[in-house]
Amino acid sequence: MSVEYQPKVIGFLCNWCSYAGADMAGTSRMGYPQNIRIIRVPCSGRVDPLFILKCFQSGADGVLVSGCHPGDCHYTEGNYHTRRRFALLREFLDYLGIAKERLRVEWVSASEGQRFAELVSDFTAELTELGPRSKV
Amino acid sequence: MDTELIQQIRDKARSLLEEGTVEGVIGYERASDGVTARPFFAYKPSATERLIFDETCAHNLVKYLLDRRGKKMAVVVKPCDSRAINLLLNEGQIERDKVFIIGVGCPGMVETSWNHKSETLQAKCRSCQLSKPLVYDFLAGGELERQAEEETYSDVVEAEAESLATRREFWLEQFGRCIRCYACRQVCPGCYCPVCFAERLEPLWVGIRIAPEENELWQTIRSFHLAGRCIGCNECERVCPVGIPLSLLNRKLEKDVKELFAFQAGLDADEPPPFATFKKEEKLELGE
Repeated sequence: MSVEYQPKVIGFLCNWCSYAGADMAGTSRMGYPQNIRIIRVPCSGRVDPLFILKCFQSGADGVLVSGCHPGDCHYTEGNYHTRRRFALLREFLDYLGIAKERLRVEWVSASEGQRFAELVSDFTAELTELGPRSKV
Repeated sequence: MDTELIQQIRDKARSLLEEGTVEGVIGYERASDGVTARPFFAYKPSATERLIFDETCAHNLVKYLLDRRGKKMAVVVKPCDSRAINLLLNEGQIERDKVFIIGVGCPGMVETSWNHKSETLQAKCRSCQLSKPLVYDFLAGGELERQAEEETYSDVVEAEAESLATRREFWLEQFGRCIRCYACRQVCPGCYCPVCFAERLEPLWVGIRIAPEENELWQTIRSFHLAGRCIGCNECERVCPVGIPLSLLNRKLEKDVKELFAFQAGLDADEPPPFATFKKEEKLELGE
């Protein structure tokens, strides 16, 4: 009997927008896949590339980094730095053989509960399609 | 060996020490095998007679300035190494008025091993176009005409063209050989954190175990910490005891930083590095 493949997704959500957005999805009783494990961070700019690598090393199939829309950062400019950092990291991971589709960076505001739910469903479906990541 | 060039370096070093302009001169001397070179620190005028320069002087001596912060030092700098000076000035690690830079025009360095000198130029030298150091106080030997023999990123483009699975297999094989001696870090002029993430126990980011997955984490983050900072002296690859092609990682990042942020490290001491700045209007294909 085969067990259906369920991708493991780690989500780094910023405290001010995306975490509140996920909360909104919850309180509005919108359904989204349980594959995502959410880690709350003060700002998407707090997410070190090291965290992403550690996730993949520990067996995650996909990582989502989500913060406020550019221009809306609680700390004025944290997410602009996030954007630069991860634009480069995605290319680099791909070069090392970790498909860049497995690392997603999205902007979700506190009012976008619906969008968050759709995002997680979409990402999980994409990862299921990609299949399990070949372990080291 | 260019005796005139060497004499110029010796004379300059001697007068700097005699006048007391600097406390010491960092240069090269003949290694005990009689063929290759090794770093040499001259603190007395008489010691400057041991200084040499030829195509075996591959070391990037700028690294040694970091251990001598605050002291007035003179350093012999090749064109590629001069980018490291700019990098450290940019990051506030060294002070310009504390360093006297003896620049040398570089004929290109050859591959060497103990007691042996080959005729082949090092890979970084085959694609080098710098005729003289970007920053110097004294130029020994004058400018040299340099013609790049190879494209800088040809091997990176080749590696990019491979399939995802092939790339994965390739890098796991490479990382699997790493013995985590950290020589690549010790030799790098850009690696100067007082406590390296790889040696932190709390939290333990990189496990003690010498296993492919731990090595992968180490190598990936090491090169990523040098993204937009690596100046391409290629010392890491030269000192790697197991021959991991680290420049393939470093130059991939250098290429992407150039494409995404139009920046190259070490060319200008005043331009802010890519991760210290941003443009509000840029999109970078994320979250749109």
